[in-house]
Amino acid sequence: MKLYNLLRDRLRALAGREKVIYDIDREMRLHVELQTDANIAAGMSPDEARQEALRTFGNVNKIRDTAYDVRGGGLLETLSQDIRYGARVLSKHRTFTTIAVLTLGLGIGANTAIFSVVNELLLRPLPYRDASRIVTVWEVSPEGRHQNSASPSNFRSWLEQNTSFQSLAAFTDQRINVTGDFEPEEVSVQLVTPPFFQTLGVEPILGRTFIPGDDEPEKRSVTILSYGLWQRRFGGQPDIIGKQIKLNGLPISVIGVMPRNFQFYIQQRSGTGRPAELWSVLPLKDLGNYGRFLGGVARLKPGVSPEQASAEMKTIASRRSTDDPAHNLNWGAEALPLREQFYGNVRRPLWILLGAVGFVLLIACANVANLLLSLASSREKEIALRSALGARRVRIVRQLLTESLLLAGVGSVVGLGFGWLGIKGLVLISPRDLVNLHSVGLNIPVMLWTLLIALITGVLFGLTPALHITRLNLIDSLKEGGRGESGQTSNKRIRSIFVVSEIALAVVLLAGAGLLVKSFINLQQIDRGFNADNVLTMVLRLSDSKYSQDPQIVNFFHDVLEHTRALPGVRAAGIVNYLPFYGGLGSATGFTVIGRPAPPPGQEPSTNVRVADNGYFEAFGIPILRGRNFSSSEVTQPKRVVLINEVFARKYFPGEDPIGKTVDVVMFDQPTPTEIVGVVGNVRYESLIDDYEPYVYFAHPDLTYSFMTLVIRTDGDPAALAPAVQREIRALDPNQPVSDVRTMNQVMSETVSRARFNTLLLGLFAALATVLSAVGIFGVMNYSVALRTKEIGLRLAIGAQPRQVLLLVLKQGLSLTVIGVILGLAAAFALTRLLSGLLFGVAAVDVGTFAMMSLLLVLVSIAACYLPARRAMKIDPLRALRYE
Amino acid sequence: MAQHKADLLQGTLDMLILKALCHGELHGYGIIQRIRQLSDEMLHVEQGSLYPALYRIEQKGWVSSKWDVHETGRDAKFYKLTRRGRKQLEVEEASWDRLVLAVNKLRQAT
Repeated sequence: MKLYNLLRDRLRALAGREKVIYDIDREMRLHVELQTDANIAAGMSPDEARQEALRTFGNVNKIRDTAYDVRGGGLLETLSQDIRYGARVLSKHRTFTTIAVLTLGLGIGANTAIFSVVNELLLRPLPYRDASRIVTVWEVSPEGRHQNSASPSNFRSWLEQNTSFQSLAAFTDQRINVTGDFEPEEVSVQLVTPPFFQTLGVEPILGRTFIPGDDEPEKRSVTILSYGLWQRRFGGQPDIIGKQIKLNGLPISVIGVMPRNFQFYIQQRSGTGRPAELWSVLPLKDLGNYGRFLGGVARLKPGVSPEQASAEMKTIASRRSTDDPAHNLNWGAEALPLREQFYGNVRRPLWILLGAVGFVLLIACANVANLLLSLASSREKEIALRSALGARRVRIVRQLLTESLLLAGVGSVVGLGFGWLGIKGLVLISPRDLVNLHSVGLNIPVMLWTLLIALITGVLFGLTPALHITRLNLIDSLKEGGRGESGQTSNKRIRSIFVVSEIALAVVLLAGAGLLVKSFINLQQIDRGFNADNVLTMVLRLSDSKYSQDPQIVNFFHDVLEHTRALPGVRAAGIVNYLPFYGGLGSATGFTVIGRPAPPPGQEPSTNVRVADNGYFEAFGIPILRGRNFSSSEVTQPKRVVLINEVFARKYFPGEDPIGKTVDVVMFDQPTPTEIVGVVGNVRYESLIDDYEPYVYFAHPDLTYSFMTLVIRTDGDPAALAPAVQREIRALDPNQPVSDVRTMNQVMSETVSRARFNTLLLGLFAALATVLSAVGIFGVMNYSVALRTKEIGLRLAIGAQPRQVLLLVLKQGLSLTVIGVILGLAAAFALTRLLSGLLFGVAAVDVGTFAMMSLLLVLVSIAACYLPARRAMKIDPLRALRYE
Repeated sequence: MAQHKADLLQGTLDMLILKALCHGELHGYGIIQRIRQLSDEMLHVEQGSLYPALYRIEQKGWVSSKWDVHETGRDAKFYKLTRRGRKQLEVEEASWDRLVLAVNKLRQAT
């Protein structure tokens, strides 16, 4: 009832002020008329009676307004009044408004940009049906390496024994050549078992996905295209279904096309370096038992949690460990929620970055609050007048808050602009593995977030000044010249508190950014075991149908290398199957040293394997430490020789000379003893941070891959040589695609791209924070000098040296800074611990970094104080003393 | 302090208005007359306070209003006590009685 009345009145008021006022007026008029009647009855003349009635009634307008306010016209009416008034105030103080809006815009924009990424990666549902029910399934190595690929036999046991999954599919990524009536191209293909698409719950836009039975031998020659490949290679033909295309030279028919944004790309587990553009059937039944190269993806049964599924996988794995210790001793298994799989490793950095932009926004708010306070001191009289005329404090606070919300509103519009730019920038610098980032933008949730933070900031920076100003003794303000000293002092104190907080926040950000920068430099300075400068790389995958024999493959690569070496500007050239940091598909394999007793099962020594030629070590500057490089005959004919790296030698031949020893690495169907002819320097292939691992290098003829990477050391700019090399390759085989043409420095820069992303952003925010704090301290010192003009004038008049005045001001600014720095350092000690997982070679609390950043901030604030201090120095005592 | 005083007066005014209306509907002018009359000319309610108070009370649902023709032939807005208003009057009278009692006790103690 009450609510209804209220609502009715408010709505009526909204419908028309006139109507409400008219009602009130009618009522008042009757009142006056009746009073007049009564007065006449009491013996007055009509005129007299009316005058008297009006007099006793009091101020009609005031009563009407009060009544109107009570009737509820008030709030909405005054809101629109306040907004109009606020807009007038803001447009009158143009400099103030511009600075405030820009400051807020930067703060809000940075928040919008980072939030858009957080929303995209951490909050928005993944683009699969009911994605929270999907998990990935992996093995866990005895050394505790997570997300390890699974062997076919183990995967089959999961299929048979699990009770957690509605469906479970295997996948593995490969590269494949697509040929046809167009330029041949190498693309990534994802081999999947038939339930793959059903597990993800994604429908094709054309045709069908795989069905049970598609993995039967006679039905396997089918493929599904990605939207991108369909558009690029087949012009988006709607009748593509049923047509044949050629993959690695073999005909395959297209049965479906997936939607535009569909992909299932786990970069760190995919050896291909890019999302798949084709899906083909993985014939799980026909795979051998061993070798770990499968990923699993599963949909949980209703009521089963990922943790329960993970526990079950572990149980199955421990059974496997008992049943087949030769291959599975101490191997575990795990199920990971999909979001954890895709973004688990970016979650913490992203939340940290969101926190950091939050800090920047707080600093921006403090600055704007300070600006509002200085604006307010010039409006003291106006506010005092309003209050003297009967405006209640709530009313004035509301007016001031409306102004700051208006400011925040304009700021958020500018912020959306900055945010849009920021998102563009983020996508540009984003690490390659954050593929989904390319779809971020200013969508509804991001806009809502911006609106929310605009509201919060508006209240945040508006409330303190509003409350503060209206608390001042306003009568004093009205008195001529008597500007309330106490008001200004407390005004100054509040502003000092704001500035100290800004500096403290900036110190925290600077400390964090400093740590990341130091860690990033450490990362860059790690010895990788090879020289990446002036090295060009490109990938060649020969088609299986054309180069079916090993010697053909070896010869082709040999020819390519010979032609490349003959090019001017090429200093050395070689080949390797997988470049360092090509992808994280590390799989160690067992080996035996001939002449040694067989170790117990499960404890066989293991090594990583690379295939290379003699030119590879020259081109990459990998030193031959003992023995010799491959000879020129060993890189054209199978001679059963291998090179090992230093770790291999140290680990498996301690105190022995490995040269001349024979090892049998499990890479072939039959035992294949190979002789160690040399020891080469260690190279970091997978991780910049982990310890070196043992590697064995096969010569290409001994272990022939149709997929190899050219490594070319050049005299000058390596990228400039790329067209010439590609020309040579085309001359040898016009149908041979070349892919991933990159300099080694580009490859390396991608490996640290995530660290660079974090470092760059936190650095940027810290810089922004520092600049804003500098502006803040400048503003406060400027204000303080203005307040103390008289005092300083007096000092100068009685003989103070300008230098002393300068020091006086600097000291004041510096003391604020120092308090801020101390508080900030205390907070940094507590907060930088959050960074610990992101740091390399530097502790979360690094005294050197902290000290340097504090010093930086102190210097910046001295610079910011310098202008006000100079102004103070140049005060003319005579004028100052006359001042006001 | 000032706030408390205002509350007291305001509350009292509400009670007076409700009391004036408890014998039947009245317009604003009538309410003032009725209060004067009932209090033996001792209480004069200012017009300036009456109308805002009336609107407030109406919003609380204690009185309802309608436009009707006054005995002089003019249009007038008549206010009528609602059931909730009647209850509120009881509440306010009771608390007033308590206050008076308390104040008297205090005075007698001195």
